[in-house]
Amino acid sequence: MRDGYSDAEGRGMTTPVPSNDDVFAHFHDVHVDRDNLEHYRALMTGRLVINRCDDCGHWIYPHRPLCPACLSWSVSPREVGGEGRVYMYTLLHQSRDPNKPLTEPMGLAAIELAEQAGLRYLSRVVGCAGEALFHGMPVRLTWTTEADGRRWPAFAPVGEG
Amino acid sequence: MARNPLKHHVAIVGVGSAGYGRDLERTALSLGLEAAVKAIDDAGIDRQEIDGICGTGMTPLAMGGAGFLSLQGALGIERCTWAKNGWLGSALVFAVEAVFAGLCDTALVVQSYLREPGMSRAAARDPFRRRAQAYADVGGDVGLGDMAKRWIHSGEPYAAIMRRYMHDFGVDNEAFGLMAVNNRSHALTNPDAVLRSPLTLDDYRASRLIWEPMVMADMDLPVDCAEAFVVTTAERARDLRGDPVYVHAMSLGGTRIGEYYENWAGWHDNAFTACLDGLRARSEIWTDDLDLFYPYDGYTIDAIAITEAAGFCELGGSRDLFRSSWDQRDQILRLNGRTLVTPNGGGLAMGRAGGSNLYADAVRQLRGDAGANQMAGADTAMVGIGSFFHDPAAMVLVSSRQV
Ligand SMILES: [Zn+2]
Repeated sequence: MRDGYSDAEGRGMTTPVPSNDDVFAHFHDVHVDRDNLEHYRALMTGRLVINRCDDCGHWIYPHRPLCPACLSWSVSPREVGGEGRVYMYTLLHQSRDPNKPLTEPMGLAAIELAEQAGLRYLSRVVGCAGEALFHGMPVRLTWTTEADGRRWPAFAPVGEG
Repeated sequence: MARNPLKHHVAIVGVGSAGYGRDLERTALSLGLEAAVKAIDDAGIDRQEIDGICGTGMTPLAMGGAGFLSLQGALGIERCTWAKNGWLGSALVFAVEAVFAGLCDTALVVQSYLREPGMSRAAARDPFRRRAQAYADVGGDVGLGDMAKRWIHSGEPYAAIMRRYMHDFGVDNEAFGLMAVNNRSHALTNPDAVLRSPLTLDDYRASRLIWEPMVMADMDLPVDCAEAFVVTTAERARDLRGDPVYVHAMSLGGTRIGEYYENWAGWHDNAFTACLDGLRARSEIWTDDLDLFYPYDGYTIDAIAITEAAGFCELGGSRDLFRSSWDQRDQILRLNGRTLVTPNGGGLAMGRAGGSNLYADAVRQLRGDAGANQMAGADTAMVGIGSFFHDPAAMVLVSSRQV
């Protein structure tokens, strides 16, 4: 049996570990598979986890079962610290869904995580006007709640998250 | 007798299997990776010797499975000059063709299959199999649910890369604008072009923002169109009525970045540089010898990156190159004082054809029947098409006078 995770606010309480069925239901529109399952299970409890090689320590993203650095199959999901910098970004002026136009430009950035050079997670940047974004901006993990009630990782400028 | 020139020229030197079972509880990619690692080990080679990959599937954009992009990224194979997906017997044939043709020296073929939900009631109850069935193919999970998957085969990262370009090289968007103006100027005299009103640099800069800093004028123009080509041997071509155009050299290209475009690895290490380096290693004709240059213009950042990967200037040097190459009278580029760039208007102005109209115009120019935009005596052309990430292609074509 899996242990409960600490909750997102770190109050030491534990939340029940979502079952596979819970993960499939919650992420009904995502290609959940056996290589990314633990990532999505962790998102449900407010944690951002990424696979890490047990042998050489290399962080592996996107979610894959094999270490591309040393070809080890011993790979485990590990929580990241949530610190990072904006590597590259765009401001979306045009929505993908013509029925849901954007009311203001949305900042979308490849966040280079502090754990490893080149380890990047694509995310919204919140708490920051689009024109204030810059390459190398220090950011920290936060969470946003979408209209459908789901909570997702996002990043905010350090000091404003 | 059928032709069989590859007889005894190609060998299979490694095999690997991930095993067989009704429910191995693994992804198609995971199984494919195991087979690949074992085959590489069986061959006794370093995986970096692999410079060509044939993955599983029917299209390069198939997602969530064991396609070549995922395989190359997951195996950490740095550079390829050939990559493709295939299935059934074709996959191995593709690889043999590629090795024989010289597009790569060592090809890895991976074929991975899953028991699909439609194949049994038990399989249909498996949520992993149902999810894979729903999403593992073209247009699969593109991040409409999870924003973190939004840049898989997406245009938006090209805007972020364009911004990185301006930041890394300390320039504004002038080079991008000049490329757009060049293509539009050529389209003015191409009766088949869809956009045939003049474009100035000021017009470009006033174009609507889509993915800041990328504007509408940075993007190719969606149209309905088709191009087709007939290819045959040089021997047969000489017996035909028309004037043949010859393939002088070609290359594909790929890097370990895979299908998550936020992992873009910079100006030196992308599929364009892998591809153009591959072409340079095979071609006796290079930029100083070119009459015509066709850098793919799905986005202007593609055309800029291909121009630089071809070595017309150093990385980041397009603005200065274009300024010094600008023909003020005709509002077009003349690289090295003479090389015309995309003289049919390309995707930006003639219309979005996935680069096929670049090949088509090169062929017509080299035959001398390109109409109003014909360059007198055009003998050599370089075409570079594709993406920073997946299956770029580059080719040097020559007129029959050169052969
Ligand atoms: Zn490792």
